[in-house]
Amino acid sequence: MTTIDWIVLLLTIFFIVAYGTWKTRKTQSAETYLKGDNTLKWWMMGISIMATQASAITFLSTPGQAIEDGMRFLQFYFGLPLAMVIISVTMVPIYYRLKVYTAYEYLESRFDLKTRSLTALLFLVLRGLSAGITLFAPALVLSTILKLPIFITTLFIGTLVIVYVVAGGTKAVSITQRQQMAVIMGGMILAGILAFHLIPADVSFSDTVRIAGEMGKFNLVNLEFNISDRYNIWSGLIAGTFLFLSYFGTDQSQVGRYLGGTSVTESRLSLMFNGLLKIPMQFIILFIGVLVYVFYLFVQPPVFHNRVLLDRAVQTHLGDSIKHYEERFSEVHAKKRLAVDQLVSAIKEKNEESIKAAGELTKTFQEEERVLRDSVKSKIALAIPGAKNQDRDYMFLNFVLSNLPHGIIGLLLAVMFSAAMSSMAGELNALATTTSVDIYRRNFKPTASDAHYLKASRFFTVGWALLAMVFAMLANFAENLIQFVNIVGSLFYGTILGVFLTAFYLKRVGGTAVFWAAILAECIVLYCYKFTDIAFLLYNIIGCLSVMIYASIFQLFLPAPADKP
Amino acid sequence: MNESEKPPLFKSWLGWYVLVLGVLVLQIVLYRILTVAFS
Repeated sequence: MTTIDWIVLLLTIFFIVAYGTWKTRKTQSAETYLKGDNTLKWWMMGISIMATQASAITFLSTPGQAIEDGMRFLQFYFGLPLAMVIISVTMVPIYYRLKVYTAYEYLESRFDLKTRSLTALLFLVLRGLSAGITLFAPALVLSTILKLPIFITTLFIGTLVIVYVVAGGTKAVSITQRQQMAVIMGGMILAGILAFHLIPADVSFSDTVRIAGEMGKFNLVNLEFNISDRYNIWSGLIAGTFLFLSYFGTDQSQVGRYLGGTSVTESRLSLMFNGLLKIPMQFIILFIGVLVYVFYLFVQPPVFHNRVLLDRAVQTHLGDSIKHYEERFSEVHAKKRLAVDQLVSAIKEKNEESIKAAGELTKTFQEEERVLRDSVKSKIALAIPGAKNQDRDYMFLNFVLSNLPHGIIGLLLAVMFSAAMSSMAGELNALATTTSVDIYRRNFKPTASDAHYLKASRFFTVGWALLAMVFAMLANFAENLIQFVNIVGSLFYGTILGVFLTAFYLKRVGGTAVFWAAILAECIVLYCYKFTDIAFLLYNIIGCLSVMIYASIFQLFLPAPADKP
Repeated sequence: MNESEKPPLFKSWLGWYVLVLGVLVLQIVLYRILTVAFS
């Protein structure tokens, strides 16, 4: 990091925060603060929806996922367009007709207060945990890369978000997300172009794609059905649809985004926008990871991408052993490099037999490298007990810092900070709205003035932000971060979605039946997580169907609910 | 808020839904072709 990088980083971040705060400084009513002023166009809401979903974890973890595991993670998003269509048809018109602030308000008009409060509480637990992880992930990686204590990066991101979300609420979130998305996508595409230009000049774009293909990185669609496999077309289309239905249809951090529009048409169009662009966006991010992978075939990567942790481990009594592995890693990479050169020559000569042979040889050395990397990870775990010895989340940023020109490094760090801030802002806004509307106003203070609710909403925003910051400072995760976020979501989303689908489609089921069914379903999902090896995406289906089935059964033993609009 | 507002470009929302799902199918086919071509 040089002065120019710091200037680019700080100017970008402070401009966005200052602009969002200044543009929304006149927010003076609770409705505008919590809901916006219903003036947003479809493309503004569409960008806001994408920015809320795409946290810093997306841009830190996803390229690393492609480097190690290929592009198969793309299948996770196949259910998203289906979910967008279903939400447009069913949920959007209902939310508009009832003029709700939050999705959970609808549940009281359909069922009762206890079901609304239970669902809102499940959301608060889920989103509160996620907000902590959303902040923890970039704070950890950036603190390591910038060699700063984690509380500094946490405090920096958290405080900036508090400033503009407290000032302008929903509208500030939406306005800043436009600039943040522009920085994010511009920065990522630039990184991809530069990564390609760093690959030797005699390797063309089609050669690059062919090399990546030979190395198994284009594993985009797997048709095989396997219940334990996290990513295949079926888990993406079926379980993914349930997950995205829950996320976009019942999670206030997303519902709040598309309820800010001028009409049903604008809200629906914003969802169509997301349905059309989300998969290509993820493809681009994964493909950038593939380009970095090909670059590292020609240039030796570090044996472990979290260099700060590696340096610490080298200084312990296991240092000599780790250095020995590093030397062997260099030797293996030198041999792999020769095999890659053979592969490039074979591709240029279009000799399929030679391509296959050189490809297999490269894979053999790659496997040797992997074994050595695993050995280094084990040594680090022994040298520094409790340290996070997974380095996937560091791969992309490490590549940026080691290989891209100064100025661009600052921009790419601004991408990570922007992504962290945009998703955290959306989450805080949703947490504050739900706490204020569904819990505080409905259960504790139903008749206070508008000024009181505005003040309370700002107070809840700060409260949730502080909670997320404390969580981020104390947390420690061994799992790949983007997967951890999705696992946490899958633990609760199925149940929440089940309550909503029961409300929409099981008209004879009443509040008491669905309330107890939701509690039972959540217990079943938590049991599956703790005691089975079922792929986490399937928790969404299990939770959702459990609520619907048990609610129908319980209703058989309960009096019929009174007719409601 | 008028629920029956007409969408842009198409006569009804069905057109938009077919477009979004059609693009999804096209993408899956394209990605499957890439997977098979490089497997």
